[in-house]
Amino acid sequence: METARGKLGTVADYFGVFGGRFVGETLRPALDQLEEEFALAWADPVFREELDAAGKTFVGRPTPLLYAGNATRAQGGAKIYVKLEGLAQTGAHKINNAMGQALLAKRLGKKRVIAETGAGQHGLASAAACARLGLSCRVYMGSLDMARQHPNVFAMEMLGAEVIPVETGSRTLKDAINAALRDWSANYPGTHYLIGSALGPSPFPEMVRRFQSVVGEETRAQMRETGADFAALVACVGGGSNAIGFFSPFLDQPLPRLIGVEAGGRGDGPGDNAVRMAGAVSRIGVAHGYKSRFLMNGDGQLMPTHSISAGLDYPGIGPQLASLGDSGRLEFTSASDGEALDALRFFARNEGIIFALESAHAAAAALRLARELDPGRALAVNMSGRGDKDIFITAKALDRDNWLSFLESEIAHA
Amino acid sequence: MPDRKLMAHLVAGYPDLETSRDIALALAEGGADFLEIQFPFSDPSADGPRIERACHAALAAGFTVSSGFELAGELAGKLAIPLFIMTYASLATAKGSGDFATKAAAAGVRGIIVPDLPPDYDEGLYDAGGRAGLAVVPVVAPGISEARLDLLRRLRPEYVYTALRLGVTGRESRLDSGNREYLARIGSLGAKIVAGFGVRSSEQFLALSGQVHAVAVGTFFLDCLEKAGGKPAALIRAVAGLKGGGFR
Repeated sequence: METARGKLGTVADYFGVFGGRFVGETLRPALDQLEEEFALAWADPVFREELDAAGKTFVGRPTPLLYAGNATRAQGGAKIYVKLEGLAQTGAHKINNAMGQALLAKRLGKKRVIAETGAGQHGLASAAACARLGLSCRVYMGSLDMARQHPNVFAMEMLGAEVIPVETGSRTLKDAINAALRDWSANYPGTHYLIGSALGPSPFPEMVRRFQSVVGEETRAQMRETGADFAALVACVGGGSNAIGFFSPFLDQPLPRLIGVEAGGRGDGPGDNAVRMAGAVSRIGVAHGYKSRFLMNGDGQLMPTHSISAGLDYPGIGPQLASLGDSGRLEFTSASDGEALDALRFFARNEGIIFALESAHAAAAALRLARELDPGRALAVNMSGRGDKDIFITAKALDRDNWLSFLESEIAHA
Repeated sequence: MPDRKLMAHLVAGYPDLETSRDIALALAEGGADFLEIQFPFSDPSADGPRIERACHAALAAGFTVSSGFELAGELAGKLAIPLFIMTYASLATAKGSGDFATKAAAAGVRGIIVPDLPPDYDEGLYDAGGRAGLAVVPVVAPGISEARLDLLRRLRPEYVYTALRLGVTGRESRLDSGNREYLARIGSLGAKIVAGFGVRSSEQFLALSGQVHAVAVGTFFLDCLEKAGGKPAALIRAVAGLKGGGFR
């Protein structure tokens, strides 16, 4: 890329046939500016030092790679390692991207940040990054998600963010994206849209991958220190930002196996899951500003999805992951709501760690895979988030009666 | 003095297919010079909440793309005015942009408007439209760069569509100097300019229609329809009033 200020590395636009910048002219100047400014920032050692410092002193980097010895012994098979990304500030990998983009917004002189959120994890990370950097933050969230994830709404508001309920459509993540895009169209000169996953119009997919690649870079170094023979890396895939960041340093080599785990939900029927890649039902289409594989009908209408984890409940997948799936570098599988809950309990009892429901899908697939692999091998699974946020869902699913009595007593004493 | 032309917008299939046909006929009878028929998409991020709700209602009532083309074909057979289909990339590319353009041309429409398929990310729509004899209408916006205007100029579009925010002072609608300068810039494309301003009164319509080839009006008609208890016939007077000075 040639700019007035010098020659820079390019920011990827397409990944195979997927990606692109499918937006109206209202958003075009904002994206063109963002591409140029991101390339400049990434090439600027001062920006990179600022990003690293924020990682060390605020986010909590590096996060550990845990040898899950008890879990390995309990089930037999390959050694299981867990990247404890859920120990990061605000409880998930989302903060890596939120902090990176908030620093970029500040560099751009934009004082207002908007974000979309599904489960609330990205909204929480954005709210924290903005509070830390003195930026105003508005988070769009489907009203159905707000009802399901009230603790995160409370936390975002405590961090000073304004949470706006989105009442249109399915009142979930995809509708929050639409609302954020609408806001950005009208306000881009002073506003940065802090998108939460490696999707949307370019340069977002490539930019988010780079901000998340720190997870994979750390993991690669930590894997070397273990001396173990890693056969595979496993990560859950909603939009895919934790997966693409985790896999990032390994994409240009044939091994280890890279395995993306989608939400198998409550069954194979339409609307019962969010399986875009592991099944045969997704279609190539263009929505939310990018070309990829989507759960859509023959007319191009996006379809409803289901997962016990709000963060995997989205009809599209980041364009680079779709491309890597089609080329065969990535393998995709799925885990059901029930398998995710089982894996959650298994790691809690055996290792003292509580996976986020999203990441528990990866844990479930990792357990399956470890059983198939030789005990001399190893695999690493990304615990992209920790499960504190899910207590209202997991407690209801795993310990219903006690949980309901607790809630009743809370109301009685409120 | 240029003609005072009106492009009237409707959502195909809203509130249901039959009624949307009657709405289209009423808009034409009232004196609309063009119809913009929006094929509803589940995620219409370039529309406001009013039109988004109409799109979701149309989908819930069973709208399909093939029923949309049937509607367009029926209207093209009955009406002498040019029809345009507006939709989103997802629908326009689901079976390939060539398929969409061919079917639109077969239905007898004059052109197609797809805001999220700009010329450099068009999935072949401009070529396919050209082959099918359709006007593919670029959607532009204030803030567009000279480089992008040059890109559009090379396409020699017959129409160009833009939305503008008005500097409304009291009851008088005037274009501020920024908007006038912007219209002059896109005027350099040599295309007929269709502009949406959020017009809600004939005073606004009359003040603005001289500045462009046609004024696009959409949300106003949804409101009229609602006030009339959903009766399409009310739109005959609404259009006539807007063009003739009846709505203040």
